[in-house]
Amino acid sequence: MKRQVPLLITLFVGTLLIFSVFIPPMENIGENFTLFFDIIAVFAFFLGGGNLVRVHISKLRRRKKDYGYSIITLVGFFFMLIVGLFKIGNPGGIAASVTAEGSIFQTTFTTVLIPLQSTMYALLAFFVASASYRAFRAKNREATLLLVAAFIILLGRTPFGMMLTSWVPDSFSVLQVPNLAIWIMNSPNLAGQRAIIIGIGLGVVSMSLRLILGVERTYLGEDRG
Amino acid sequence: MEHLGLWVAAFLTLGIYSFLYRDNPWYKLSEAIFIGISAGYWVVTLFWDNFYGKFWVGHGEDPWLWVGAVLGFLMLLRLVPKIGWISRWPLSFIVGATAGLWMMNYFSSNIMLQVKDTIMPLFGSGYTASAYDIVGNIVVAVGTFSGLVYFFFSKEHKGAFGATAKVGIWFIMITFGASFGYTVMSRMSLLIGRMDFLFSDWLGLIK
Amino acid sequence: MSIGKLSTGPTVLFLASLLIGLIISSMTSGLLAQSVIGTGDATDSVLVEVPGVAPATSLVAEEHKYDNGNSIDLYWVPSIDDQPEGGLVRAYHLYRSDNEAEATKIAELLPGANQYRDETVTPDNKYVYHIIAISDGASAKSIKTAPISPHREWLNYDKKYLFLIALIISAAVIFFVETAKRGKKLFIRKIAGLEAIDDAVGRATEMGRPILFIPGILDMDDVQTLAGLTILGRISRVIADYDCKIYAPVSRSLVMTAARETIKASYQAAGRPDAYSDDMVTYMTDEQFGYVAAVDGVMVRERPATVFLLGAFFAESLILAETGNSVGAIQIAGTARPAQLPFFIAACDFTLIGEELFAASAYLSGEPMQLGSLKGQDIGKAIAMVVIVAGVFAITIGEAWDVGFMHDLVRWLSDIFSTK
Repeated sequence: MKRQVPLLITLFVGTLLIFSVFIPPMENIGENFTLFFDIIAVFAFFLGGGNLVRVHISKLRRRKKDYGYSIITLVGFFFMLIVGLFKIGNPGGIAASVTAEGSIFQTTFTTVLIPLQSTMYALLAFFVASASYRAFRAKNREATLLLVAAFIILLGRTPFGMMLTSWVPDSFSVLQVPNLAIWIMNSPNLAGQRAIIIGIGLGVVSMSLRLILGVERTYLGEDRG
Repeated sequence: MEHLGLWVAAFLTLGIYSFLYRDNPWYKLSEAIFIGISAGYWVVTLFWDNFYGKFWVGHGEDPWLWVGAVLGFLMLLRLVPKIGWISRWPLSFIVGATAGLWMMNYFSSNIMLQVKDTIMPLFGSGYTASAYDIVGNIVVAVGTFSGLVYFFFSKEHKGAFGATAKVGIWFIMITFGASFGYTVMSRMSLLIGRMDFLFSDWLGLIK
Repeated sequence: MSIGKLSTGPTVLFLASLLIGLIISSMTSGLLAQSVIGTGDATDSVLVEVPGVAPATSLVAEEHKYDNGNSIDLYWVPSIDDQPEGGLVRAYHLYRSDNEAEATKIAELLPGANQYRDETVTPDNKYVYHIIAISDGASAKSIKTAPISPHREWLNYDKKYLFLIALIISAAVIFFVETAKRGKKLFIRKIAGLEAIDDAVGRATEMGRPILFIPGILDMDDVQTLAGLTILGRISRVIADYDCKIYAPVSRSLVMTAARETIKASYQAAGRPDAYSDDMVTYMTDEQFGYVAAVDGVMVRERPATVFLLGAFFAESLILAETGNSVGAIQIAGTARPAQLPFFIAACDFTLIGEELFAASAYLSGEPMQLGSLKGQDIGKAIAMVVIVAGVFAITIGEAWDVGFMHDLVRWLSDIFSTK
């Protein structure tokens, strides 16, 4: 029971979904499964959210280093939970949408979460700079190709690229940086993309078959090693 | 109130930026707030959108939704050590569904479509292409082919095969370079966006 | 029960059902083609002339082919008074009568419209349509269509080639899995990023620092997450042997559960179930950048010796990889998102590119059957390469000298590879 049932479920569900593509009366089954998944995910949140609370409470209890921040995390979590689930301070009351304008839930989202999200996202500007610097020091031929292509595309998207090569006569306009950038995007870049994408497709097909046929079963907590 | 919101937003923005210097209490505070508030935000959204919106409202009309709810419930049996193993059922259900669904999706979009798009006349329809296009077309065909050679697992990259694989990895590197270069600019504009918030919305230095 | 015994059943079942499906689909193709389709020629002519505007003409109703019997396609020629500039027609109202009942309006369409798909029909009911062109103060009714009944089809014959190619590649994968099972040795080339795993784990052990595993930010309904977890299974087996510490902060509750199962099993398999603890995997938050903030915090405080980033990554790829780099960790990354791969290449020591991510678990397992599936994958690649070469050759020659059979070959190939 413990070992076979999960494997049979995977086999059955996987095979069903593969065939549903070819059988019109079953064509909506994929959407249904997505719906099931969404519902399962809500239940699973009891486990994830429970884990979050447990971890921080245990830090607090044991007075671990930095336990003060755990208090803040817990307060934030329960605050959102309460104002959101009971729609406290929602101008439209319990019947209104939880994200209604002016509700405490939505206001917290815009004043606290949005700036945090966009700043974290914006850290990328610095990290892109440091990654580029590292790429610059790379010595092998592959890294050089990456760098040259990146440099041309980058220049091609700025007015500077235009200025730099405006002296190139029009009969060789291909060599002007913006045109070169377009050519790279449309030709070698496209070729590389295709090879990667086709490879991914085959990789997914093969892995899916391994999972469905039960050849690959580590995820189920069944390693036979 | 609006004023307070602005200051909170600025405080948190600077808190996250302080991470660039080093880990520090300001960042830790911003991080703790971020984790707590965002986790809470997700539970609430999942509850209202998925549980209430999809299951509670819909289960009368579509009794199949009970399958999702039952599987979700089985998942919770993990909390009972003796029968915790039952929670593998919903897990294997999800794995089977994901594998089956994506297998056919990737099949048509990643394999069939890409192969079809690569079939094109090198010299254009009726030999009309310019030298520029011809070079481009040849590069696409050769690049796709050699890129696939690179991914071959069952043959050592040696001799002519190895040389082709080498050409393949060059194409793949150019592709990576192109995406890298393409993204740099948009990442910079994110920074400009945040600076605009700090200096214009918050401090009012730039009008 | 050994894996050898178990997998034969499903394999045979799977192949058999694919084969039966193919036979049925090829047998019924003729039937299906004939049964197409009670095309509603405009015979029933009840033309109502309302002065001021001309009606739409040539209204035709056709059953939508190879579906569940729940859609009908309608085509018509717009009224001659329906012009882009200065036209009289303001709208079209589409009416439908179900089983000879009174006709009711089912849609209002903008001027210029000449087709519509009615997806609100029930199989085997009888439908008659007409369309009314509406102008200011006047209207004109088209002739009615002949009665039409949509039928439920059991096979989508449009997808026969998709089925065929899926069958061939699946069969290749399964064939090599079976061949390997019978003990034939298969060669698989070395993959650098995967060869480095042992060293990376060993380094963490020597330094007495933890190993961080990040399975991406998507949930269990994404294949990349599944790929990441299957690799986690292999890696944690090595970690259990080395007696090193692993920590996996995750952003989805289901991934947390699955990752725990995976690590636990590896520890059991290594004969060290007592060393496993649920604390090895913790849930952070579902929010993309909240998760990044949390993981960045973990990285700078725990200073892991090795970081694995294997799964679905978006913009956060570079933030995580650069932070990992700044604490001096050896990093092995992999994703199937081409847009994020360059950042991993720039910031990590080893990167699994696309297909390599999905192949990694099979490769690491070293089991003949798993390696066999990689060989099957290569057959797919070989087919793609042959088709590309043959197709490009045929279409180029065909265009140059107008060779008839080359045109046919190209048409045939693009027919096969088109995905409707």
